Amino acid sequence: MHSCLSPCGDLLMSPKTIVETLVSKNIKLAALTDHNTSLDTPAFASCCKKHNIAALYGMEAQTSEELHVLTLFADEKTALDFCAGWYDLLPNVINKPDKTGDQVYVDENDDIVGEVEKYLITSASVSLDELAKQVHKLGGIVIPAHVDRPAFSMTSQLGCVVDGDWDALEFVKPDAAPELLPSAYPVTTSSDAHYIEHIGRRAFDLDIGEVPLLDSNGNTNLEAVRAGLSKRIVEPLKK
Amino acid sequence: MTLKEMEKELALTCIQSEYEDKEVTVVYTSDLLSDVLANADDNALLVTIQAHKNTVAVGSLKGSPAIIICNDRPVPDDMISAAASEKIAVYTTQENQYTVSGKLYTLLNGKK
Repeated sequence: MHSCLSPCGDLLMSPKTIVETLVSKNIKLAALTDHNTSLDTPAFASCCKKHNIAALYGMEAQTSEELHVLTLFADEKTALDFCAGWYDLLPNVINKPDKTGDQVYVDENDDIVGEVEKYLITSASVSLDELAKQVHKLGGIVIPAHVDRPAFSMTSQLGCVVDGDWDALEFVKPDAAPELLPSAYPVTTSSDAHYIEHIGRRAFDLDIGEVPLLDSNGNTNLEAVRAGLSKRIVEPLKK
Repeated sequence: MTLKEMEKELALTCIQSEYEDKEVTVVYTSDLLSDVLANADDNALLVTIQAHKNTVAVGSLKGSPAIIICNDRPVPDDMISAAASEKIAVYTTQENQYTVSGKLYTLLNGKK
């Protein structure tokens, strides 16, 4: 999901409202992934912990190939550290809120904490492979986003879905996944919600067995998430 | 050279005609929208194969008068309606980015 921090995200998408919506829809696990930034994850963490929702913290990173990749961490601190370095690698294109939308981050009570200066829908000077390497080094999960979409995806930028060190591949239409898969990968979907009413669309069940989803600190157990993803592996069609 | 003159010279197909006929002064060719954002001059006409509405958003930021979609890529309706509301002309051509750029360069810089 995106929050009010993404220039294309609705201003009503504050972490507080997002989490209230998750509770009302009985969603147990959710990821906040704004465009090229994680600055709304502290508020998201605070709200999720109040309601025992397992949160994943990261961003929808845009690599030098101009494709979108979900980076997911178990705690907001790692996500924030990673996003600080990532921000430096974005080009110095300044956001024009009247033309492209606001880029404000807030606290758990919806009060504005700050505004991001650089326009966030640009590409960092880091390749897809290098991003995957960096995120894995920090213990995170890497999922190339909406790989079957005609923009900002593997298909649009590389011509096809490519093999690599991905923890899963996200599809908009997972039924078509076997035709596009180069090898076996877990397949996920996501709401990519920019508006409250889109939260929870294209949700899926993650089978984590008897393992608890949250650790004693209220952080999400990434190993349980990985184990659940491994049960969603789709084989490519044999040609 | 105006947009209408360019359309004729390059034998382009106009698929979004709600625009004001303007002088073409500068062109930028790229298939990376982030590159366009970072490096294109203001008011640059865009030559690209990225046929989706995000290209219109970038064109709007740059003040582009028109977008030329190469290789006859299909253009979705939401791109056309976005361009109409921004008054940006959209053309298609079966030619590739190299050929279109070469022709525009020659037209804008005079034939030798």
